[in-house]
Amino acid sequence: MLFFVPSETTFDDVVPPADLTVETTNALLLRVATGDQRAFSELYDVIAPRMLGLVRHVLKDHAQSEEVVQEVLLEVWQTAPRFDPNKGKAVTWMLTMAHRRAIDRVRSAQSSRDRDIKIGIRDLDRDFDSVAERVEIRIEHDRVEKALSRLTELQRQAVELAYYGGYTHSEVSQMLGVPMGTVKTRLRDGMTRLREELGVAS
Amino acid sequence: MSQHDDDANNDDPIRDERFADVRAALGLAVAPVAPSAGMKAALMASVAVTPQLAPLAAVASQGAASARAQTRWFSRPAMVVTAVAAAVALFFGGVLAADLVGPGGPSASDQLATIVAAPDVSTVVAPVAGGATATLVSSDSVGLSVIVFDGLQPLSDEERYALWYITDGVATPAGLFAVDGDGDGAVVQVLVGAFEAGTIVGVTVEPASGSPAPTTEPIVAIATA
Repeated sequence: MLFFVPSETTFDDVVPPADLTVETTNALLLRVATGDQRAFSELYDVIAPRMLGLVRHVLKDHAQSEEVVQEVLLEVWQTAPRFDPNKGKAVTWMLTMAHRRAIDRVRSAQSSRDRDIKIGIRDLDRDFDSVAERVEIRIEHDRVEKALSRLTELQRQAVELAYYGGYTHSEVSQMLGVPMGTVKTRLRDGMTRLREELGVAS
Repeated sequence: MSQHDDDANNDDPIRDERFADVRAALGLAVAPVAPSAGMKAALMASVAVTPQLAPLAAVASQGAASARAQTRWFSRPAMVVTAVAAAVALFFGGVLAADLVGPGGPSASDQLATIVAAPDVSTVVAPVAGGATATLVSSDSVGLSVIVFDGLQPLSDEERYALWYITDGVATPAGLFAVDGDGDGAVVQVLVGAFEAGTIVGVTVEPASGSPAPTTEPIVAIATA
């Protein structure tokens, strides 16, 4: 099963998604690029809960996750004038920044606090059903879950561990007991398959 | 974006640009989580004093002089960001916030947000007699100032701290407040009355009923430019 929701998530802090379309986020970010703080405030309302959901899913620690999201959003403000809507979507750009920063953080914490690889495996068995009450999130979640179910078991596990867990290739290789080269191949095949299944442009 | 392991971007499907939209879809499938109440205020305060990067096209056509000017401008606000963020964090730490919301009036948080969002926001930190620190956040264009204390001692029931706007040697009362004995001496106060640049902000200890003019030596006096 998937492990979309960390165990510490309670229903109370799951918020309804604000208007998160490609068009609105692109338009908001272009306004932010002109120094419009009101637009930034609106953008925050739309994107911050999604960023925090993702970052906390990777990092687990709420306070640290808020720190990361604040850093990322300040960087969004600073670099917004360099966002080019012809080269990608605002929502993709912003979530990519948040995801990378979360992974950088979780990996840099590794040296001081060795991550328990067994926990990663256990996470795979977590169920989403107890928390996903919101229909909109549920639909989004179901779409991705369905796409993930089309992957082979090894592809799916590799993608989940690498993307949601932030584990390196060598860690994933250790966790799944397969060679590094196989992990890379499965990841690439898995992501390619997901792109087809989700019908998102390359 | 820095890398912390040996995976090169083009060799890592999790970071590969071609899978950006797949990653976004995976990210959006996670249940959203509400940020804490103070996070947005702290971020908006930082945004208010953080300049944006120039668009790439503009950078290419910029001369060396403007590049130098930009470097100076970029290095300046770091201290302001820290001080303002600290003030806002302190504020949303819940210190006496309820006391500050007058019936029908704008809340102190709104006023503080307005001040930190002003282009001419100014922050001055000063030591207070007795070991506390005071941070004055003011804006001439908004015409308001907020003073943030850390480590301020509680007074007896008969006394209050009094705030003063001092212009040309004349002190005008700008509010009275007490410090909660249970807390850590953290206080945020919006000064009553209009702030003008050049005004001195002073704090004295006065009888609980207040005084028309200061009757004791100021525990802190902050000059503004």
